[in-house]
Amino acid sequence: MEPAEVEFLAEKELVTIVPNFSLDRIHLIGGDLGPFNPGLPVEVPVWLAINLKQRQKCRLIPPEWMDVGKLEEIRDQERKEDTFTPMPSPYYMELTKLLLNYASDNIPKADEIRTLVKDTWDTRMAKLRLSADSFVRQQEAHAKLDNLTLMEINTTGTFLTQALDHMYKLRTNLQPGESAHSQDF
Amino acid sequence: MSEAYFPVGPGLGLEENFLSLDDILMSQEKLPGRAESALPRLALALGQGAGSAEALPEGSKLEIPLWLAKGLHDSKRRIISVELPKIYKEAWRTVFSADANVVDLHKMGPYYYGFGSQLLNFDNPENPEIAQSILQTFINRFRRIMDSSQNAYNEDTSALVARLDELERALFQVGQKGLNDFQCWEKGQASQITASSLVQNYGKRKFTEVDG
Repeated sequence: MEPAEVEFLAEKELVTIVPNFSLDRIHLIGGDLGPFNPGLPVEVPVWLAINLKQRQKCRLIPPEWMDVGKLEEIRDQERKEDTFTPMPSPYYMELTKLLLNYASDNIPKADEIRTLVKDTWDTRMAKLRLSADSFVRQQEAHAKLDNLTLMEINTTGTFLTQALDHMYKLRTNLQPGESAHSQDF
Repeated sequence: MSEAYFPVGPGLGLEENFLSLDDILMSQEKLPGRAESALPRLALALGQGAGSAEALPEGSKLEIPLWLAKGLHDSKRRIISVELPKIYKEAWRTVFSADANVVDLHKMGPYYYGFGSQLLNFDNPENPEIAQSILQTFINRFRRIMDSSQNAYNEDTSALVARLDELERALFQVGQKGLNDFQCWEKGQASQITASSLVQNYGKRKFTEVDG
């Protein structure tokens, strides 16, 4: 899976906007949206929010976890724990990138938020690598990791599955119990 | 997903993958061996002797490629017998178990894992130890490959891959690709339209040429 595909899935998440136009309820295949009244906050999926923002038809309200104090708490807790802590949103990385790229004027202290999220990401990736290394060293059959997001899995997934493939094939070499391929001339 | 060519990977077990380029190159590596019986008229073909009808005397030492060794090996009709190359022997196995990260696997035959797996085809009392040693070497070197491939962005990686064998280099490439895809997405380049690598190689044809 490519990062662009993960971002596509992330765009289904809901975010609050304040429109400056009015529109009745619209009926889409995925569900109903609306009605839109100027000045009244309404929840829409991120893909629509970004589109409206680019056309200057709304103002984005950052999600309540996208705040410097909260993110600092999350980052510190991530550093303390050995296992993965639950993240405020299963798509925190994608939402941060999208909202900070398109709507940074609506989000206070955007640069600090970017740094904090990147720190948390780095800590989680380091934990993931440590866990993968101990998994390979002890030749375990299966492992369970809670609270991983799709983007993290996607970045290291291909490498890990290929390495485990190779290890599996090398391991089956240890069993000598196969019938010998012999040909008589 | 956006590639036109999916290479067939090497088969790491006792059988090679027929279509894998890596396996074809790997089976060209040479093994030391001995002729068990006199081989009439084959002296020139096996690299010794000058005449076209010379026989190879029994017991002479040969260096034969793996594909030939596998074909000629038969426990009933003893035509040749093979020895282990030195990196699969006891001395080097203890080096690997001490610290597998310092060994330059590219110099020791760039197909250490594949070749070692193929060696298990020949009946040899040391086979279980060889298999175990190959597996442990892979496990010990895994951490370094993972770290270096996931952290080296936009740098010259030739120093990092110099000591890896071909299998490890393929893994390194996969890790780099994951990292590059992520960074490229984060910079916003994933949504830019670029020409496909297939089309870029076609060369530009001028419109007037097409008409005329």
